[in-house]
Amino acid sequence: MEKQVKNKEVVISVRDLKLSFYTDKGRVKALRGVSFDVYKGEVLCIVGESGSGKSVTAKTIMGILPGNGRVDGGSIIYQGEDLTKVSEEDFHQIRGKKIGMIFQDPLSSLNPIMRIGRQITEAMIINGDKIKRRYEALILEDLIAYKNAVSRKKAIIEQMKSNRDLLIDEFKDEIKAVKQDAALSDDVKKERIAAIHQKISKAKSDTKTQIDATKVEYAPKIAATKAALKDKSKQAKVEVKAYKASLVAERNKKLKDLNAQLKMAVGDAKQPIKDEIEKVKLDFINSVKLTHAEAKKQAIKVMEEVGIPQAARRFRQYPFEFSGGMRQRIVIAIALTQNPDILILDEPTTALDVTIQAQILDLVNKLKRERQLSCIFITHDLGVVANMADRIAVMYAGKIVEYGLSEEVFYDPRHPYTWALLSSIPDVDTKEKLESIPGTPPNMIYPPKGDAFALRSKYAMAIDFKEEPPFFKLSDTHYAATWLLDPRAPQAQMPKIVSERIRISLEKAGIKHGA
Amino acid sequence: MAHKPKTKFRQELVDNDVVLSVRHLKQYFKVGFQARKFITKAVHDISFDIKRGEVFGLVGESGCGKTTTGRSIIRLYDITSGSVYFQGYRINAGSRWNEKEIKWKRIRAKKKIAELRQLEKDELAEERSDAQEINDQVLDAIRAKYAKQIQDIRDEVNEIVRVQKQKIREIKYDNKHVDPRLMSKIQMIFQDPVDSLDPRMTVEDIIQEGLHIQGFKNKAENSKKVVEVLERVGLIAEYASRYPHEFSGGQRQRIGIARAIIMNPELLICDEPISALDVSIRAQIINLLNDLKEQYQLTMLFIAHDLSVVKYFCDRIAVMYYGEIVEMASSDDLFKHPLHPYTKALLSAIPKPDPLSEKKRKRIPYNPVTDHDYTTEKPTLREIYPGHFILANSPEYEKYQQEIATIDADSAS
Repeated sequence: MEKQVKNKEVVISVRDLKLSFYTDKGRVKALRGVSFDVYKGEVLCIVGESGSGKSVTAKTIMGILPGNGRVDGGSIIYQGEDLTKVSEEDFHQIRGKKIGMIFQDPLSSLNPIMRIGRQITEAMIINGDKIKRRYEALILEDLIAYKNAVSRKKAIIEQMKSNRDLLIDEFKDEIKAVKQDAALSDDVKKERIAAIHQKISKAKSDTKTQIDATKVEYAPKIAATKAALKDKSKQAKVEVKAYKASLVAERNKKLKDLNAQLKMAVGDAKQPIKDEIEKVKLDFINSVKLTHAEAKKQAIKVMEEVGIPQAARRFRQYPFEFSGGMRQRIVIAIALTQNPDILILDEPTTALDVTIQAQILDLVNKLKRERQLSCIFITHDLGVVANMADRIAVMYAGKIVEYGLSEEVFYDPRHPYTWALLSSIPDVDTKEKLESIPGTPPNMIYPPKGDAFALRSKYAMAIDFKEEPPFFKLSDTHYAATWLLDPRAPQAQMPKIVSERIRISLEKAGIKHGA
Repeated sequence: MAHKPKTKFRQELVDNDVVLSVRHLKQYFKVGFQARKFITKAVHDISFDIKRGEVFGLVGESGCGKTTTGRSIIRLYDITSGSVYFQGYRINAGSRWNEKEIKWKRIRAKKKIAELRQLEKDELAEERSDAQEINDQVLDAIRAKYAKQIQDIRDEVNEIVRVQKQKIREIKYDNKHVDPRLMSKIQMIFQDPVDSLDPRMTVEDIIQEGLHIQGFKNKAENSKKVVEVLERVGLIAEYASRYPHEFSGGQRQRIGIARAIIMNPELLICDEPISALDVSIRAQIINLLNDLKEQYQLTMLFIAHDLSVVKYFCDRIAVMYYGEIVEMASSDDLFKHPLHPYTKALLSAIPKPDPLSEKKRKRIPYNPVTDHDYTTEKPTLREIYPGHFILANSPEYEKYQQEIATIDADSAS
């Protein structure tokens, strides 16, 4: 426990993230205010049923939301930057390089017709062209200025559109209310509806003029930055060309000297000179780009690190020649070649066997220890994560309902949903009947009022259906959002199967400490 | 025809307690073609009985043949060798063993005959060189002696071939003439609730399809049964007219269960019914299956890769590894005395919701090459404890017995 008392560096911090998907059936409020921190070298587990928004959170961090998803509010702070506002082009510098992600199904995330060696080295080689990187570094500032100008314009227009949509939604609701109002006569209804329709068309035209104005406003700035970018890229191209030419000249000069020496040399003296020539050639290649041979060497090292035996032979095989667990290891290896700060694992073991699952969990644990890697581990099975989680966030209906250190959540769970999740895990030690959670998660187009879990909870009180519970602080690291923690609430006992299990495991641990 | 066997609906194994009996089941698959052709031995010689009202668990990692076993029992595959008896009737059998028997008997006889012919030749040559003049009578006697021996061998082989061919005919006849009403008493629940339901059929059509095939054509009665069974599995009657895509994973699995239950089965094969589901839904399905088991007095074959799930259900558990049963015991016994290294590895892989003990726990890896030494003696399935079978050879058997003794001593103290 002492370790956690120390102040740890926060790697990524999600604050009050809200997000919706716009579908034909309506606006699905997938995330409704999610906040958490990921610390350096720690594993944060996000646990919840399918549809609770855990994968959406991960995808938002990675910036790979589907087109109909929009961030309504909140922020994801990574290295002082808000990832929700980063443009797509800038995200290329983050996605994969700084934040890696591993998906549920290892077969569908690998290309079936590419040898795995090539898949592992692909990103390394793409990022290994040093001349191109130099060029990119030179034009980076102007490029960002241009992209920012464009994306700011886009974002403002997007915001206007979404505001308009929200307004129109409200008006539509009003129309519905008017239509259903029995107290009004038909004429009055018609009048009012017509008035609302007028408002709608006004809102539409207003937004249009606003958008046009924004476009005009931003046009000169965009043009200016574009021109600057063009100039700079021309300049940069010349510069890079000169740099490469200098490298070539240097090499040629060295080679010339060496060749002259080689001609002069006799017998045994020839060999060191030949070696020297080879070295000069190799140095030149390495200073221009990452060679395939070098990439292969690094890839095999990473493959060995993730526990793939006979890596050199395996390098040339296809994904179908691997078992499920090995495929998942390859996917992890691909992510690791870029040396990310954060690794997001989206249900990496759900498609795997129990034995293989245990191996993958051990691997994640090892990587966390050795590389000081921060992980976000997403799963629906609380039982899986006890071994590796430092912190646990339990999610339900787009919200975090309980957040705390692993020991706190497992040994002192407070939210009824956490109790329900814990009690539905089959256990080897007891043979009691499992307590299942009745029903299914709510439809997030119409999120329930008050506590979202109240409908399925037997601990629900009257207030749960009226008002949303705030976060109650249990310790510096442990929070839970349930009215049961309110001082006025009646005393609620967690299910017997959970309390019994906690008692047994604490007792076991206590005995071990004593002995 | 005289040789045609009369095996139709003949009860061969008479034991009312045993519902399903699998004897020396082998299931091989031919993979590849031409030069790359080889045989995958998915299931290699497994035998077990399932008693009435019992839940039998098959556990093992993916690729160990547990699903293949289930599918062979319900006749989704033609099995390679061995037999499957359901309520004493042979419902599926394979003739590979008999064919091999014929083949090898013939090859051995051929060899023997060739040897005899060589001996005959030698003896005749000796006789010719020894004698001053050739005595035809002596030579004929020698020839007659060998001819008789060869004839004996041929007769023996022919007899064996006749018997085996008769058996092959019986197997083929049995396989072709299985009573469909008997087969409808075995039902299966599949792993993937998405793929196992036809997306173009309504729930009612899906559930009553089996009834229709069995000749229950009265629509009103069938829909009444469908509604009944839907309510039994915790769905509502209105769902009957909907399509599978409108349901969540747990509900789809319930539809799959309803489809199996409506046939009033005696044996239910559950092929990993919960591994594709969320944890919370998992508990719902486990509880539902438990209720159904009690209500219909079902006998079940439960296939899973997770020992912790299996423990909730099963009276007896068989652990499979690469097509063979390595350990088979009653559920309590298996958890009390896990003996085979593979069982231990499986047990050590079960995650527990308990961070303190979990962080200290060491996983036990299983490596068949280093864990066993089968160079001198091949392992067989032996009974080490009443009802507890294990795949072992003699030295291992003794080692396991000692292990049991130490475990018992520990628990006693």
